[in-house]
Amino acid sequence: MGVSGNAPLITDSRFSVQQVTPDQGQRILQARAIDVFINGTNLASRPDDRSQYAVYALKLYLKKEEVQRITSAYPYDQSFPLRVGIYTLNPIPPSAAAGSNAGANPGAVSTTPDETIIPSLTPPPTPFVQVLVSLLYILPVTFISIFFTSSFMDEKINRRLTTLLSTPVTPLQIILGKMLPYLLFATGATTLIAFITHASVALAIAIFTPATLFIFAIYLMVPLFYRTFKDTTFIAMLVTTMTTAFLVFPAMFTGTSELAYLSPLALAVKMYRGEPFGWREYLFPSLPMLVVFGLALYAGTCLLNEEFLMAYRSLTRKMLDAVYLVLHGSRPSIAIPVFSLLLVPVVYLGQVVILVFASNLPPGVMLGGVLAAAALVEETVKSVGIFTLVEKGAVRSLRAILGLSFLSAAGFLLSEKLLVFLSISAVSQIPLAGILFSSGGLFLVPLAAHFLFTSLVCLLAGKTRLPYRYALLLAALAHAFYNYMLLLHA
Amino acid sequence: MSAFFAVMRKELNSVLRERTIVIAILIQLFVASFSSTLLLGMLSMYDTDTIVSVGGANIAVGLVNDGSSWPQVQKLSSLLSAQKTRVTLFNSFQAARAVFNSGKLDAIIEVPADQAVMTLKLYLPPQDVKASFIRIILQKPLEAYENDLRLNRGVDINFTGLTGKPATSFEFAYSVILPILMFFPAFVAGGMVIDSLSEEVENNTLQTLLSAPISIPQLVFAKIGAALILAAVQCSAWLVMLSINRIAIQNAAWVLILAVIIAGILSTLAGLVVVFLKDRERSQFVFSLVLLVAAGGSYFVDLSPLKIISRLAVNDFYTSGWQVSLFALLFGLLALLLGRFSRRLMLRAIALKKEMG
Repeated sequence: MGVSGNAPLITDSRFSVQQVTPDQGQRILQARAIDVFINGTNLASRPDDRSQYAVYALKLYLKKEEVQRITSAYPYDQSFPLRVGIYTLNPIPPSAAAGSNAGANPGAVSTTPDETIIPSLTPPPTPFVQVLVSLLYILPVTFISIFFTSSFMDEKINRRLTTLLSTPVTPLQIILGKMLPYLLFATGATTLIAFITHASVALAIAIFTPATLFIFAIYLMVPLFYRTFKDTTFIAMLVTTMTTAFLVFPAMFTGTSELAYLSPLALAVKMYRGEPFGWREYLFPSLPMLVVFGLALYAGTCLLNEEFLMAYRSLTRKMLDAVYLVLHGSRPSIAIPVFSLLLVPVVYLGQVVILVFASNLPPGVMLGGVLAAAALVEETVKSVGIFTLVEKGAVRSLRAILGLSFLSAAGFLLSEKLLVFLSISAVSQIPLAGILFSSGGLFLVPLAAHFLFTSLVCLLAGKTRLPYRYALLLAALAHAFYNYMLLLHA
Repeated sequence: MSAFFAVMRKELNSVLRERTIVIAILIQLFVASFSSTLLLGMLSMYDTDTIVSVGGANIAVGLVNDGSSWPQVQKLSSLLSAQKTRVTLFNSFQAARAVFNSGKLDAIIEVPADQAVMTLKLYLPPQDVKASFIRIILQKPLEAYENDLRLNRGVDINFTGLTGKPATSFEFAYSVILPILMFFPAFVAGGMVIDSLSEEVENNTLQTLLSAPISIPQLVFAKIGAALILAAVQCSAWLVMLSINRIAIQNAAWVLILAVIIAGILSTLAGLVVVFLKDRERSQFVFSLVLLVAAGGSYFVDLSPLKIISRLAVNDFYTSGWQVSLFALLFGLLALLLGRFSRRLMLRAIALKKEMG
C-alpha cells in the first residue's frame, strides 16, 4: 500500500508500506503496483477483489489505530461514551410465574452487571490464544515420543529383541519399562510449562497426563508396524498430524459448543480463563484416552513377538496378522464382539476423517462418496476379526462363521447405541450423522442389516475364493445403498 | 554417469514399492482439507461478517424505551435492523421480559435517556453458548452506535465508512494452504534423504553400493535427485488440485521452480546433517529443529520463501524470478558444501563395520 500526507503509521507486518506523493500514489494504484492508497485521512482503492481485500484487512487495523489516537487526543468519557452492562436473565415459564408466592421473587434481576464492557475495547472472547498455549504442552510430548519409538527400533536393528524375549521378563514389563523414563520426562516438561505460564501445576498434570498416555499409546504402535526407516518417518508424521488435529479442533469451540470437551485442551483453556469445570467435563476426554492406553498396552504385549516384528510384509498383511495375534488368545465368542464393541469409536474417527477429505469433492459426488467410504470402514471393522480367524484355520464351520458374524454385529450395534445415548445432543441432531450412526429405526432392523452385511463378507471371503478386499467392497456397496434408502425415507 | 541414474531409479522404485509415499500424500491432503474445515468452523462461529452473510444473524432483540430516550432507541434500532436482526420496541422492562420468558426474544437492551456517558443494559439468556453467539452478533451494531455517539460529542474518528471484502479466505488460501502444500514435499524430501543415507550406513550396504563405478558425492546427489523428482511431482499435483478448487495460482512456473529449489535446499541440508551426525534419530531430530527455527525465523525477514511463494501466486508487482534465483544460489552453495564433506559417510561406515566386528 502507499501512504502520503499525515496518514496514520501502519506497523502491521501484513502490509508493505511505501511513502509516495499524492499523484504517484493514484498512478501506481491504478497500475496495480499497490492495492490501497491513503492520503491523509482519505482512502482510495480499486473495485477489484485484491484491492477490496486489502481495504477490509486495513479496516480492522485502522479501527485499533483510531481508538488509540482518540484516547490520547480527547478526555476518556468523550472518547468512550458508551458502556454496556451485561446481565444474565433467567426465563421463567409463565405457569411458574403465575403460581409463585407473593413473598418469593424467583425472577429477581441483580442490580449489578456480571461485567461492563466498552464495545470498541472489548471484543467477544475467542479461545485462539489459549488453545495455542495448551498446544505448547503437546509438542514436547510428541518430541519425546519419537525417542520412545526409536528405543524399540534399536532393539530390532541390533537384533537384541530375541535375547530380550528369551529372558524371564514379560512383554508387558518390557513395554512399561521402556516407557517409564519417557513418561517422567514428559511429566517434567508439563510441570515446567505450567510453571512458566503461571498455571496450577497439579491441575495441568491432571489434565495432560491422560493425553500424554494416549500419545505414548499411539506411538507404541509405530515401531510394531514399521519395516524400514522411511516407514517410521512417514507413519510418525501421520500420527503426529492426526493427533494434533484431533486435539486442537474441538478445543477451538470452547465456550461456544459442548463438543469442545472431546479434547483435553478445552479443559486447559478453561483453566487459563479461570473458569471451573466439573467431573463430567474432566472424564469426558480423559476416560476414553485412558481406555485407549490400556488397549494399546494389551495389543503391544500380544504383538511383541519376534516373527511378527522382524518379517518384511506389506502393511495390510501386517495389520491382518496383528489382528489375529490380538484375538487368537481368547475364546472367539467373547473376543469378536468385544473387539467390535471397542472399535466403534475408531470407526467414528475414521468417518470424521472421511468427511474432512470428502469436503474437497463437488456436492453431488460427496454424499455418495461419504456413504460408500463410511460403510467400508464399518464393514472392515466388523469382519476383520472373523476373517483372520478363518484364514488361519481357527474357525471353520459355516455355523461358527454365522454365529460369530451375529455376535460381531450385535457388539457393534450395542456400542453404537451406547455412544449415541452418551453423546452430546448436538451431534445426533444432524440427519446425515444420524444415519451414519444408525440411530434411526427399531433395534431389530439395524441388527438384521448389520448381521446380513457382516456374514456376507465373512462367508464370501472365508468360504469362496473371493479375495477379502472384493468381499468387503461388495458388502460396503450394499451397506451404502441401505443407508441411502434410509436417508431417502428420513 | 549411468550409475548415477541407476541409483536414482533404484531409489524411486523402492519408495514406490513401499507405498509409504501414499501416507505422505494423505497427510498433505488431510492437513489442507482439515485446515479449510477448521477455518470454516471458526468463521461460522466467531466471525460476524460470515454469520451475518449466511443469514444467521437471525436473533430477536427487544429495545426498552422509557419514554425519554426515543431518539437513542431509534438510532440503535436502525443499526440493528441494518444487519437483519429483528427489533421489537417496548415501553417497559416487564413487557419485554414477558415476551423473553415466552421464548420469542433472545436478548433485551434497556436504553436510558441521553447522558454524557450512555450505559446500556444488555440482558442475555443463561446458556454460555447462546450468550456468546448473541454478543458476537451485537458487536458491530454496538460499535457503530458508539461511533455515532462520538461524532455527536465532537470526537472526529476517521475511516469509519470503510467496507471492503472479507479477506480471511483469500489470506488463508494464499498464505497458509499454498505454502503448506508447496513446502511439505520439501520437508518430506529432507526426511527421505536422511533415512536413505543413514540406512545405507547402518545396514552396511554403503561399501557394496560403492563397488559400482560411482563416487560418494555422486551417490548422495543421486538420492537427492530422486527426492527432488518426487517433490516436483507432488507439487505439480497440488497445483492442479488448487486450480480445480478455483484457487488461481499465477506465475505457476516460478512457484513450482521455487518449491523444487527449496526442496533441494532442505535435501542438501539434510545430507549435511547426516554426514556430520552419528545416526538416524539424532539427524532427524536436529533436522526438524533446524527447520522449525528457520521457518519461524523466516517470518521476520522479507525474503522468506513462505512470503515469496504467496506473492508470486497473487502476481505481486515487486516479486518475480529474481527472488527465486537468490534461492537457487543458496542451493548451489549448499550443494558445493555437501560435495566437499560427503566422504565422511565412508569413514562412518568403516567405523561401524569395525564396531560390529
